[in-house]
Parts: sequence; structure tokens; C-alpha cells
Amino acid sequence: MTSRNRSGLSRRAFIQGTTAIVAGTALGAGRSLAQTVPAPINTIAEGTTFRWIDSGDQKAVFYKKFFADYAKDRGVEVVYDALPWNEIAQVVPLGVRNNSAHDVFALPQNVNPADAVAQGWVQPYDDFIPNIDEWKAGFPDGAFLPGINEFDGKTYGLPFTSNKRYGTHLLYNKAYMEAAGYDPEAKPLSWSEFRDASRKITEAGKGRYFGFIIGGSQLGRWSQTIRNMGRMAGASAGGDSVIEADIDFRTGEYVFDSDQYIAAIELLIAMQSDGSVFPGVMSMNAPQARAFMPQGAAGMILQGPWNIGGWEGNNPGFDFGVSSGPVPDEGPVGKLTIGQGALAPNTMWLFKGSELGPIAGDIFHYLGTLEGQTAWANIVGAGDPPIFPAALDGAEMSARSKAILQHFNDAIRVGPNPIVGNAELGKVIGSFQAPEINFARTVQGLVAGELKGVAAEMKGLKDRYNASLDAAFAAAKADGAQVDRSDLVFANWNPDVDFGAADY
Amino acid sequence: MFETLHRYRYHYLMLLPGLILGGMFVFYPIVAACYYAMHDWSGFNSDKVFVGMGNFVKLFSDPIFWDAFKRSLVFLLGTVPLQMSVSLVLAVLLNNQLLKMSTWFRTMIFLPVVTPVAVIGIIWTFLLSPFNGPINGLLLDLGIISRPVDFLGSSATVMPSVIGVYVWKWLGITLIYWLAALQTVPDEVYDSAKLDRCRGARLIWYIVLPIILPFALAILLISAVGALNVFPLIMSMTNGGPFFASEVMEIFIYRTAFATGDGSIPRLGYAAAAGVFFGVVVLSLTILQAIATRRARASAKQVRS
Repeated sequence: MTSRNRSGLSRRAFIQGTTAIVAGTALGAGRSLAQTVPAPINTIAEGTTFRWIDSGDQKAVFYKKFFADYAKDRGVEVVYDALPWNEIAQVVPLGVRNNSAHDVFALPQNVNPADAVAQGWVQPYDDFIPNIDEWKAGFPDGAFLPGINEFDGKTYGLPFTSNKRYGTHLLYNKAYMEAAGYDPEAKPLSWSEFRDASRKITEAGKGRYFGFIIGGSQLGRWSQTIRNMGRMAGASAGGDSVIEADIDFRTGEYVFDSDQYIAAIELLIAMQSDGSVFPGVMSMNAPQARAFMPQGAAGMILQGPWNIGGWEGNNPGFDFGVSSGPVPDEGPVGKLTIGQGALAPNTMWLFKGSELGPIAGDIFHYLGTLEGQTAWANIVGAGDPPIFPAALDGAEMSARSKAILQHFNDAIRVGPNPIVGNAELGKVIGSFQAPEINFARTVQGLVAGELKGVAAEMKGLKDRYNASLDAAFAAAKADGAQVDRSDLVFANWNPDVDFGAADY
Repeated sequence: MFETLHRYRYHYLMLLPGLILGGMFVFYPIVAACYYAMHDWSGFNSDKVFVGMGNFVKLFSDPIFWDAFKRSLVFLLGTVPLQMSVSLVLAVLLNNQLLKMSTWFRTMIFLPVVTPVAVIGIIWTFLLSPFNGPINGLLLDLGIISRPVDFLGSSATVMPSVIGVYVWKWLGITLIYWLAALQTVPDEVYDSAKLDRCRGARLIWYIVLPIILPFALAILLISAVGALNVFPLIMSMTNGGPFFASEVMEIFIYRTAFATGDGSIPRLGYAAAAGVFFGVVVLSLTILQAIATRRARASAKQVRS
């Protein structure tokens, strides 16, 4: 039988698909893609069609090869669809409603797992993996968590990639940086040095290239950049779900108006005033912005590790470096906090209406073995690291990928996850409606000059988020949930160390 | 009645496919939108709560909604007069049989009309880019500006830029309408006018324009409705940004209904309410135009006679 891949024709899907294909081809040229399909763990009925959907990108590179081999070996057809998140947000709910959803899907980012279970979207896969407890024991601590991917003692989500990464570390043009007199690999740039380097690169560029670039029309870039810069400067806060992001767990309060967040925004505004930000960033999305880097049109970008494999494959002549995101001028570097060990958007779910649980279990099982995790790491690399740390040891990876994964280990800690403390907080997440002028838009408005007065705007933002959060708690309580804002307070949290199960 | 139905049964049978398709793709969505507009519903779960007119009440006190509504009107007022006047001038020029290469000009002006909107949007994004964009390059070379202008990244320039691209894209279709209208003016009218020594601008103003006035109102209506349907162009050029600066009603509805981020959940019910309100506004506009067209047609008859 065959494996079939489809992708949408939207501009974003096209760019993503093209990137994935080119990256895959290039990676294939330079690195072994050897994968072996393991022996089946279940009886697989031949001739069936199994469907899988996720957000593609580098995952698609792995799956295209793996599913082709798997389909051939098992005598089934596998349809793999890679769609951008905004399309997943429409396709998956419609499929569930019409009982025609893919057998395995990624949950839309605005659907929390507790809701998906409660609404009957997904089913547990315990029965499709023999000795599942033994298999789960092979995962690192914090991969399987009640309220996250386990519900009522059953396993629903497959957490197979690591959350230990962030999307705003520094990637830079080595020649430009050297000419500016900095070496971020030897010592991460401080905020002042970051601004100075941007100015110097721009001056040297004389209009041909600029110091710093960001995909400013993609709103999430603004919130991620400020959140991570602010946290590294010492504004300790969570960063994942809506009951974690920008909340200091020691107090349960938002940190939007902290000195660090405000200073980070003011830094970007100052760089804009310096004229050292690439012109036109407000009308440019993240893929467009990062495409300018290998062209030599910009010296620095704060982006994610997924660029490394793509640039190394597509632009072997582009000499770039990777390092930590900008660190504070003085004082210790704060840790970035994640709410769980597994990357939530990559967690896969088995559709409740699927009758192909044995195939899903067979594939899930492979992805949760050292063999499967190493095969994943070989292809996907640092872009979407596997959740088994041991898989990285045996994986073939470039020096840049290894360096950035090492940095992630140093920079990131697992923090409290309120939903683990109280699973009913899922109802708060389900009810939370972010303010229309949210964090990302506010930062964009401030940097674009549409909003004035950083401190006042950030205070207003904090008030709006508090109102939204209070409303979500009220709605959850009205729905019978036993929740309180004190559920977001973990007085014993130390941002510098992992928050383990014993700490709850 | 049944006798009439029976007598014309084949006629009705022929109407059936159209009725079924219209019902599925026009009437049902309208009814469904009205139904959803009265519910607080995200669109993806079963928690659908009836709120009556609650969504409309919220909508009318939502400044972001009114801003989007105003932007749609600004877009309408920015595009329609420009599109109609420029295309009329071009139509009068190109209607002259003696003008050489008029067919070639018509084709060139019509070419953007048949080019997909998304392609136009992407190409213009490159053309207007402040980094190596040819338009900025030209303005810099001519010394008109000293620094590149971020046409799509600044709230001061984004709407005029998108309006300009829209007018350029749809100029050809309005031109064709005007040409069709001009060709309804009888030759005798021109001949009589010439005998009376009425030429040039006076001929156009006093003779031609009154005759084609009913067409003008129809073209105005089509252009106005078209100017309120700009979703693909704005999505491909600005995504509604920067900071809402180009967020017209359709983008507002889409963002509220589907596009989410940073913790927002879709509000299909609320978006449906905005859609229903917007639909009523467009419908009112259409009715007004129909009335005006009827009156203009009556007065045009007087001019001809």
C-alpha cells in the first residue's frame, strides 16, 4: 500500500511545506535518514486507511519517510496531512462534529485537553499498548501528567517531544557580528550589547543590511520576545497555558508591569528609534523575516532552533552563530519556566470515533521507544527535540544544534503546573477569554508607536488580564468547578530549580 | 392554485436545482448566522448558550467593532469615488473609436482584474517593501523621500496603500461597465450635439452623463458592495495590522470567529452577530441604491426624449 501526503494551498502552508520539503531533501543529502520499522505490537488489519494530522514543519520531514515505510511494512495506507494551526483549528473540530476526523490529530491550540476529553473528542490508548505502564516508565519525569495528558487514570495524549526549547534565542550573521566586535558564542550579548551590536551592524550595512529583524506582523513574536527577555532579566513567571503565562507563581499575579518587561519593550522601542531595526518589520511574518537572514539582509534575529536545520541544509554557505537570547546588563540571568516536560502542541490524540486504535498504539509505542526517539532526533534535530534525553546522545546533529540544546538545558526549568495541582482549572482555561488588546498586540502597538507610555499601557494590560482571569474563574465556579485564584500560587516555587511532583 | 402549480410543473421543476442550491448556500447560512448570533458559542464545543440580543448589545458597546466598521466605511469612501472617476475618464478616452491601441489599453487595464487577489496582495507587498522595494527605490532616487517609507507597517500609510492597490486591481472591471454604458448612448445624440456645437467636456457633462446616470448608480452599487468585500486583499497584505490599523469588518469577523492566539478562544456567536449587522448595513445600502437607480432611470428617459 501507499502513504499519501497532502497539504493546503494557503500561502503559509505553501511556505511551510516548501521549507519542510527542501529541508528534508537537504537533510537527507547530508545525514543518514535510516529508519527501521519495528515489529508490530498489535494485530494490524491490512488494507485499512489510517489518517494523521498535525502542524507539519519539521515533523513532516520525519513522517513522510516513516509513514511510507510503515505503510509498506504493515500493508495499510497512511494519509498524513500537515496543516497550519489556523486550519487545524477549523478542520479538527469539524471532523469531530461530523465523525470524520483523522484517527490521530493534534488538538487545536485553543482547545484544552480536559475539554477534549469531556466533550468526547478523544479516547484513551491504554488498551492499544501492551504493558503500557512499563512503556510509560521509559519517559522522563513530567512527561505524563494528570490533567494534561492523563485523565481518570487513563492515558490520552502522546507526549513525545520535549518542551525544553524556546523560540527567541539569538541567531546571527557571524561576519557582521565579528565586525561589530562581539562574539555571542563566547559570551551572550547583554541588552546594551544587543542594542549596540544592532546599531553597529546597521551602520556597517549602509542601507544594504540592518542589525535586527523580527516578523512583526505575526503577533506572537512580540509577546514571546518580551516574555523571554523579561524572564531572563529576572521577572520570573510561567509561559505556557493561559493560567501560567506571565504569572509569577509565588504571588499568583501577572508580571506585565514588572520593571523587566517594561525595560524589554523600551529596549525594542529604542532600537527602532536608532534605526537599527530592519525596515518594514510590521508587515512581515516570521518566515519572511527569517528568510532575510541567509540573504545577508539582517544581522540578528531572535527566533527558534527550527531555523538551524533549515539554514544548514538550504544555505550551507551562510555562516551563522547561535547563542542565548540577550541577558540583563547586570545581575543573574533568570530561568525560563515551562509548565510540563512535553511540548503540548506536538502531543498527539486518538480520535474517539477511530476504529484504528491498534495502528495508533503501534505508532505511538514506536515513538515512545529509544529507537523511535533517536530516529526522530536524527531527522528533526534541535528544531523539535525528542523527549528522551538519551536519544540526543546517539543522534547525529550539527555542532550548532548540540550547542543550542545544551543552552536550553541550562536556561529552562520545569515550573509548577497549576492544573496538576487542581485538574478543575481546565474549566478556567476553557472559559478564559484574553482581552482583545492582548499582550502581543500591546507590545506591537507600543513598538509601532500606535500606543504611548509603556508603563501605563502595561499596567492597563495587567488590569485587563486580571479582569479576564477573574471572569474565567467566575465562569468555572458557576459551572461547578472547585477553583480559586489561590490555585495559581505556589509559595515554595524556586524559579532556578525544577518543580517536581513532590513539590505540589 | 394547485391547478396553476400543475400547469407550470415543468417550470417549477426547472427552478428546483437553483432553489436547492440557493437554499443550501445562501438562505441556510443567513438563517444559521442569525441563529448563532443569538448564542454565546465558541463554535467548537457543545456549550451553546442562548443570549438573545446579548451579542448585539455587547457589539454596539465594543469600540474595536466600531473602529473596524468605520474603517470599512473609510475604505468604501476611499475606493469607490476614486475607482469610478478614474475609470470614467479612461472609459471616455477609450470609447473614442479613433484612439489608436484602445483595445491594447483596455486589456492592460483589465489584466489585474483576472489576476488572483492573493497574488496581487503578495506582489504589492514586495513592491511596497521598504527594503529593496522598487516603489521606495524610485521615490528615493527622485529625492521625494529621504528614508524608505514603511507603507504597510505604519498606521498613517497602510489604509491609503491598500486603497490604492484595491483601486488599481478593480479599475478594469469598472472601466468595462462604463464602456458598456457609454455604448448605449445613441449616435444620433452625438450627431445632434455636434450640430448644436456642443463638444468635449460640455458634451459629456450635459448630454452623455445624464443618459448614463442609471448605469452610474448600478456601477456605484456594485463597486460599493465590492469595496466591502476586501478580505483576501487585506489578509494577504497586512493581516489587519499594524495594531488594527487596517482591520476592516471582515477581518474583525474572521478574527473573532476563527483566528485566535495568545489565549483567545473563538467567539462564533459574537462574530455571527457582527456579520448579521454588517449584512443588514450592506442590504440597506443595496435597497437605497435600487430606489435611486429607479428614479434616475425615469429622469434619463426624459433626457432621451
